[in-house]
Amino acid sequence: MSDVVEKTLTALPGLLSLDSLPGSNKLSSSSKLGNLIRGITELTSKHEEEKLIQRELTSIKEQVSSPNTSMRQMKELMVRAIYCEMLGYEASFSYIHAIKLAQQGTALEKRVGYLAVSLFLNESHELLLLLVNTVLKDLQSTNLIEVCMALTVVSQMFPKDMIPAILPLVEEKLNHPKEIIRRKAVLALYKFYLIAPNQVQHIHNKFRKALCDKDPGVMTASLHIYLQLIEENPEGYKDLTTSFVTILKQVVGGKLPMDFNYHSVPAPWLQIQLLRILCLLGKNDQSTSEIMYEVLDESLRRAEINHNITYAILFECVKCIYTIHPKSELLEKAAKCIGNFVLSPKINLKYLGLKALTYVVQQDPKLALQHQMTIIECLDHPDLIIKRETLELLFRITNAQNVTVIVDKMLEFLRINKDDYTTIDLVGKVAELAEKYPLIHVFLSFGGPLLPENGKKIVKYTSHITTLLYMLK
Amino acid sequence: MRFMLLFSRQGKLRLQKWYTATAERDKKKMVRELMQMVLARKPKMCSFLEWRDLKIVYKRYASLYFCCAIEEQDNELITLEVIHRFVELLDKYFGSVCELDIIFNFEKAYFILDEFLMGGEIQDTSKKSVLKAIEQADLLQEEDESPRSVLEEMGLA
Repeated sequence: MSDVVEKTLTALPGLLSLDSLPGSNKLSSSSKLGNLIRGITELTSKHEEEKLIQRELTSIKEQVSSPNTSMRQMKELMVRAIYCEMLGYEASFSYIHAIKLAQQGTALEKRVGYLAVSLFLNESHELLLLLVNTVLKDLQSTNLIEVCMALTVVSQMFPKDMIPAILPLVEEKLNHPKEIIRRKAVLALYKFYLIAPNQVQHIHNKFRKALCDKDPGVMTASLHIYLQLIEENPEGYKDLTTSFVTILKQVVGGKLPMDFNYHSVPAPWLQIQLLRILCLLGKNDQSTSEIMYEVLDESLRRAEINHNITYAILFECVKCIYTIHPKSELLEKAAKCIGNFVLSPKINLKYLGLKALTYVVQQDPKLALQHQMTIIECLDHPDLIIKRETLELLFRITNAQNVTVIVDKMLEFLRINKDDYTTIDLVGKVAELAEKYPLIHVFLSFGGPLLPENGKKIVKYTSHITTLLYMLK
Repeated sequence: MRFMLLFSRQGKLRLQKWYTATAERDKKKMVRELMQMVLARKPKMCSFLEWRDLKIVYKRYASLYFCCAIEEQDNELITLEVIHRFVELLDKYFGSVCELDIIFNFEKAYFILDEFLMGGEIQDTSKKSVLKAIEQADLLQEEDESPRSVLEEMGLA
């Protein structure tokens, strides 16, 4: 009797320990999942791993099909099934049970069920139809968390044909008092717009309301839709330019709550979305561009802190300035910015600088000349990616004087490059250049070291070589 | 964003989230290829790769590689920050996160990922509101679980 009491007493602290952080619940490490994971890490060969997982999957399969399995156990089984699928083993027998779990489970069980569905299925999967009823039910639930879960899944995948059934429910959530629900509803509508644009034609004015929402999160969500709409039809939204400019001004000026700061930069992703939108609206349109000059100038000035995120904003800003109707002061500042990138010792910035140069070189060839020493250095950079980017840039500034050198460098690169896509792309460029400026020695190089390793490459190379041969005759 | 992968230095996949419909065997092939490419990169190299028609942005945090695939027109530097934001959220949630936390609680990592990268687009919400949403759902679960007596847990009743 006494040792039972002793056992209980020693076990009590462990069982009753309350972790102050809800996330660091370490109970999972002793669960069946924990055991499975530990089991796998102890194995040494792929073959053994396969055996263990297959055993696991058979056991899971038995248990999911049994009518005695509770929802709580089902949840645990689903987590293990997700894990097995992640390792590359097929567990499609569990898909239907994931849907059932989302339907019948409560709270965490439902959550895991929805998670499993979002990981197992995709838009075109036939089982997704079975989820629709569950989602419809949860959207009308009084429990807000369930509504959130339903909206989250809907914004990831939903069968196109069932949109009309769910659209009114989602629409009504746009007016919900809670901002998180409004935000998720906007994103669900964004998803609907992407998969079936004509189904959401009639609610464009509701998007406008979301754009003016007092919560910045909801407003940001609506920008995704606007970016898409404006990409397809910039003319239709020119009237919104002043609104976007005003929002950007407010953000850059620090008018948003402190929460939205990321490393003391106000809402960077929001800034970038707005810059992209403005870029599309101002293209080839002087009057619209004029509205945005001031705020672009302001953004350039503010983003001077030394952090990756400000460089990201600067990059978008520069792209925008070069796309819209030109203004010399802004162009000058942007050019200086690109210069700083290219000269930066940080390799990621160098890469972006080169990319930016490639983008602007048509409009401003002098800029590339200004930095030609750095560009030449980059040609011999140990990192292949930088080399590749430099060659892209050089391709755009070839003229009769430098073409031989550039083509030679490209051929040199082709010899060490291993990636098929790049090779085909570069070979195409070389052929193009060889066509513009007849280069006999290119053909000779082609015959030599570029011996292809497999049939596909041979076909591509021969087509280029025959083109060359034809021109040189 | 097309997809996000998390994998260890030994090439073990810890998390994968796909934002476009892709066939299983294509997924496997892509994951394998990508892992090889990223693991072969040296520390001083660029964090950006070009692969097929996509751009890959990756960053290593201790023993884990975070890898995202984005489209041609997307901004690479901002994706690097998206990764960083995700790591910050995980850190806040788990309290000094380490790889083991993500391995053993990967479904929680997925919940956080879904909350802040909904449908593949980053939601520029405050860090607080993302974590609040997750915590509220967590609390709901704890309220729901029926209390079991200690003796029951020990199998003595």
